[in-house]
Amino acid sequence: MSLLVAQNLTKIFTNGDEQTQVLKGIDLTLAPGEMVALLGPSGSGKSTLLNILGLLMRPSGGRLSLLGESVNDRTETALSQTRNRHLGFVFQFHHLLPDFTALENVAFPAAAPNGGISPTIRARAAMLLDRVGLSERRDYLATRLSGGQKQRVAIGRALMNRPDLVLADEPTGNLDRENSARVMTLLREINREDRTTFLLSTHDPQIADACDRQIHVVDGRVI
Amino acid sequence: MMFAARVALRYLTANRGQTALLIGGVALSVIVFIFITALIRGLAIFLTTQTTGQIAHIELEPPLRMARLLSADDRFAARPVSTFQRQQIRNWQQTVALLEGLPHVVAVVPEIVGNGFLVRGTAVAPVALQGVAPAQIDAILGISQYIVDGSSDLSSGGIVIGADLAAALGLRAGSPVLLRSDRGVERLIPVTGVFRAGLSSLDRRVAYLSLVTARPLANLPDGISQISVKLDDPAKAPDIAASLSATIPLKIAAWQEKNRNLQQALGGQGTTGNFIQVFAMVAIMISVGSALLLSAARRRAEIGIMRSFGISRGFVASVFLFQGLIIGFAASLIGAGLGYRLCLFLSSIKAADGDPLLPIVPSEGGYLLVITLTTIGSAIAAILPARAAARVDPVEAIQQ
Repeated sequence: MSLLVAQNLTKIFTNGDEQTQVLKGIDLTLAPGEMVALLGPSGSGKSTLLNILGLLMRPSGGRLSLLGESVNDRTETALSQTRNRHLGFVFQFHHLLPDFTALENVAFPAAAPNGGISPTIRARAAMLLDRVGLSERRDYLATRLSGGQKQRVAIGRALMNRPDLVLADEPTGNLDRENSARVMTLLREINREDRTTFLLSTHDPQIADACDRQIHVVDGRVI
Repeated sequence: MMFAARVALRYLTANRGQTALLIGGVALSVIVFIFITALIRGLAIFLTTQTTGQIAHIELEPPLRMARLLSADDRFAARPVSTFQRQQIRNWQQTVALLEGLPHVVAVVPEIVGNGFLVRGTAVAPVALQGVAPAQIDAILGISQYIVDGSSDLSSGGIVIGADLAAALGLRAGSPVLLRSDRGVERLIPVTGVFRAGLSSLDRRVAYLSLVTARPLANLPDGISQISVKLDDPAKAPDIAASLSATIPLKIAAWQEKNRNLQQALGGQGTTGNFIQVFAMVAIMISVGSALLLSAARRRAEIGIMRSFGISRGFVASVFLFQGLIIGFAASLIGAGLGYRLCLFLSSIKAADGDPLLPIVPSEGGYLLVITLTTIGSAIAAILPARAAARVDPVEAIQQ
């Protein structure tokens, strides 16, 4: 069974009388355990597609199913729950919560719906920080971490609830070459060991080459 | 919910300076609330105590005599029932016994009251006569504490008069004076004592004498003019008076009825206080609401991130509601503590005459009320920021 299936996805943005069609009928499928690169020039609709696949934005048309179930008609609350249980996000600008420690940031997606950081949640967050090589920084506030460390904490946070799919929007776009390579190695490692599916939006050909498959988006269409 | 409270606390402690300023501002409004409440209630207590300490709380008088129509062949359209017989309470002993058995009653004083003139040589001064049993001279006003010359002993048949009246007639303790009652009876009576109660209506007009001395002057061989009752709690007077009216066929009035001006003044004062309290609450709600709205705007990206990994709108909203609750509770506790200390300090400042400069009563600051109102008000003020935060679109927020 496919993990995610998108059929004829369209997205039209309306600004007053002006309408802009960003996605013009996207079809794509992600299988469990795949690591897929999403490529395309700026303005091609990559980010919009990633937002729709990540259930952060509703498509204007087309069908989208996750784990064999359609998500088109789900309520906002149900979409929120689906994101929390089945999806993980890594953004270009890490977007950590600055007033929380590395461990609290990683634990947050599990702690909020469960009423706090239970010993089980704490243990998993600590394990994830260890896995991304930051066990010694667990009690550091996010603001005290370097750019590369922040992005690794963000990866730990994306993995906290054992997601089926991690969506990463240019995860190395804001890092130097060394940190970029380190993050990419980490993602690949997690993908192989945990069979976690990754969809990475990127401009970097090296990162794209490291993935199992590449999807090219140009002018709102998959080519 | 507990995690939302922890997040709220973290947000507040992350910006300590701003949070301290906000709590300080709210606490200041709480102090104003407490100061005004303690002052207005203190003033009410002061005025009420002053008044009720010097007067009867319930007065029982004979029913008013109404003029009645005469038959058509009479020469006058109307005339009093009697022009000769004085209004009086007969069989008053039974009523006094009944009143003495009631709860909250601390003193029952049968009195003969009337008017007259004190004459000394060519000097004449009007006087309000107050006939009481010698043992009960202090039951209503406690006149003995105000004696400045002589004594308050009425048993020897003398009178005790106010200091201003004594001065007007050149009298002092031991001086004889001619008392002419409004019934036309005259007696030469010695002045037993002179008092200064500090109330000009008393010091200038009133003369105390014993019931025995008053009877012939008032032409009341058996009856009395009125019964004055003192209670342990003046506030209960209207209820007690109302229940007495149902059983005793006399005109019965509580002190509040005879002091409507005081009641109106206290009511007006209370209303003014309520307005100030409402303004203080509005100021609190505006402070908390605007600060949290700014916080919600500043943390828009963070909220967007939380929403992106599936944190519910309810959780985000409750983080801001908890911030309102924490600010309100903390500020009201701090404000209550400081407000109490301020009231204590102000109540300790004495005027030149030794009385407190302000009639402030620190224990009457309405502390529980202000803590409850401030906490609830702050939580209510947080609803708008909470809704704004919960509505943040994650895509827009992250793109920012």
